[in-house]
Amino acid sequence: MQLTSTLELYPDYSVTQLLFKDVKNAAELRKNAMEGLVQGALINPSMIVDPFQILVASNKAIHLQKTGKMKTRSLFSEIIYNLSPTNNISEAFKRFGISDDDGAVYVVLVYPKEEAADISSIVSRVKGQQIPADMISTLTDAAKIKKLYKVSPQEETNGSLLDAVICRMAIKDVS
Amino acid sequence: MALDSNRAKMPYLNKCSLIKQGAEARVYRGIFLGKPTIIKERFPKLYRHAVLDEKLTHRRTVQEVRSILRCRKAGISTPVVYFVDYTSHCIFLEDLVGSITVRDHIASSQESGQDPVCLSSLAEEMGKILAKMHDEDVVHGDLTTSNMLLRQGSEDAKPDLVLIDFGLSFTSALPEDKGVDLYVLEKAFLSTHPNTEQLFQRLLKSYTHASKKAPAVIKKLDEVRLRGRKRSMVG
Repeated sequence: MQLTSTLELYPDYSVTQLLFKDVKNAAELRKNAMEGLVQGALINPSMIVDPFQILVASNKAIHLQKTGKMKTRSLFSEIIYNLSPTNNISEAFKRFGISDDDGAVYVVLVYPKEEAADISSIVSRVKGQQIPADMISTLTDAAKIKKLYKVSPQEETNGSLLDAVICRMAIKDVS
Repeated sequence: MALDSNRAKMPYLNKCSLIKQGAEARVYRGIFLGKPTIIKERFPKLYRHAVLDEKLTHRRTVQEVRSILRCRKAGISTPVVYFVDYTSHCIFLEDLVGSITVRDHIASSQESGQDPVCLSSLAEEMGKILAKMHDEDVVHGDLTTSNMLLRQGSEDAKPDLVLIDFGLSFTSALPEDKGVDLYVLEKAFLSTHPNTEQLFQRLLKSYTHASKKAPAVIKKLDEVRLRGRKRSMVG
């Protein structure tokens, strides 16, 4: 159900992605994450086009942590920040983090490979239904993403929405 | 020695296959986040002062990805940028699997004696895309038929023309710079592909049709042809 990947650049790490719908305790989860009880990034699924987007954000977050160039305080907040097209941290949390009344949650865990991820504790904490992570496209709000990332119709003629989003995420620090 | 220390910095590259080595960078092919990827590594140049080298390399890396994004926003196909590492100066780009260079395509078409209509529509497409790029004030800096790829999309659709290698690109609104860009292409085009003068004329014609700013650029191109690429003859 969940999707676990390894990162070629950082082979010591694993990334696991879990997707939940019909979530009833988003507010509680958000609080747990801020208190550090949930060791993961809680993301608003409507802003995600594809699991690849999460991998790009996670890889960059680890890279910035290793090189001491993170813009936010933790690896998980850095993942959320990396998803955003702008350099405004609070706006990134507002758009890409979860809000108290959200009905779906995308959970991203990053952990050293030899340690098993505590998936069951996450699953038990979330009051909702877990669905396969690659079903994210059913929850994607493409119109909202196009607006936020400023993807023009002419750009869509030469590539997918995912391509447009990935490029902006990768280049945002210098554009 | 420098090579060793550089290799140690990016152990990942040891697992990738080196496909090209130039004076400025090495190009590798590998897998990144599960996708076929091209990695362009600007290695440190020992012949330059370390501080200057770092600055130049950094600026060129930034310039390259910026131009790619600018072109994509304007609707010009380029490889997707997956990740940029500013510490080892590596750019991770989409690998266009199954694409061929325009250079190879023209060469094989000429060899097989295929009907020239096919090639002239390609030349027109090239002119259109370059006009679009210059209208965005992106000057590629290294236009050759090897730096353009043909990506076969769906079976019966026309192949998509993709521009690559923005390593020497910059933004400029000057007709002079755009004229030199076309001049570099003309030189490269006519020397790699014999007897294609007419084909290149087609390209220029479609460029002129596609861009409002074309007359000034073509005028500059005529000037540049007479004097060569460098403006000043001093030094």
